[in-house]
Amino acid sequence: MNGLAYVGAALAVCLAALGSGIGQGIATRGAMEGIARQPEASGDIRTTLILALAFMEALTLFSFVISILLWTKI
Amino acid sequence: MGLEALQHLLEHVRPAVLFYLGPVPIYTTVVNTWIVMIILFLVAFFISRRLSTIPRGIQNLLEMVADFFNDLLEDNMGKEGRKYLPLVGTLFIFILFLNLSWFIPEMKPPTTDLSTTVGFAVVTIILVELIGIKKKGLGGYIKHFFQPTPALFVLNVIEELVKPVSLSLRLFANMFGEKTVVAALLLMFPLFLPIPVMALGVIMGIIQALVFSLLTVVYIATFIHGH
Repeated sequence: MNGLAYVGAALAVCLAALGSGIGQGIATRGAMEGIARQPEASGDIRTTLILALAFMEALTLFSFVISILLWTKI
Repeated sequence: MGLEALQHLLEHVRPAVLFYLGPVPIYTTVVNTWIVMIILFLVAFFISRRLSTIPRGIQNLLEMVADFFNDLLEDNMGKEGRKYLPLVGTLFIFILFLNLSWFIPEMKPPTTDLSTTVGFAVVTIILVELIGIKKKGLGGYIKHFFQPTPALFVLNVIEELVKPVSLSLRLFANMFGEKTVVAALLLMFPLFLPIPVMALGVIMGIIQALVFSLLTVVYIATFIHGH
């Protein structure tokens, strides 16, 4: 039983990081195209990009918290 | 690494009780917060004694921060946004200094403890709701839950309740995850392995402070402008 809980804790973070990595890559691509097209707006775009990256990171970290909960219960 | 190494790691990352103030146990988190508060107070005190119209040095830096937040508030809310600068600026500077307290020896940042971040998030969200009630009146505030359609009432309430949870968990999980990874690397190879992770952690700490205050600005703006 305990072995399966370890696998669950590892799998939670892996899948969440996969999804968040893909999502943040797409967001950064959009931001870089925007800056390349119009360099004067780069301040606005940079702030929005940081905000969006933090949102996606937060989803990964929610699952990290679940994984920590699983780890300390063993 | 066996099971006892994991238990040893767990002792590294949990806050410890330092002394008792009457019946209340005082953890290292609280003492670290006091130390950072004293440092902030001293910095502010010594800067405000020699203010000059042409800023130099640290005053320049703080004016840059104040300008950045003033522009942000004006972009999102119009001219009247400037009066929310104390709330947003204090949140940013305080969380920034708390996240950067890696640099004081023997200290772990207090934001790695869930209590600190939940305190920040609950106080901020209560303030934002009170600003919303003051702006729209009590009737307007309750009506805004029914705003696009009354069928979305439950979703709007859940969204309001999730805001403090997501704010606190975002900040806590970033700092706690970084601390745990550094502690685990320390157990493996003491002096050199944690250094790149600690650099990443410092950057993430600065970004998380910025994101917390940015989100507060956005939440206040949705109350003032409506959906």
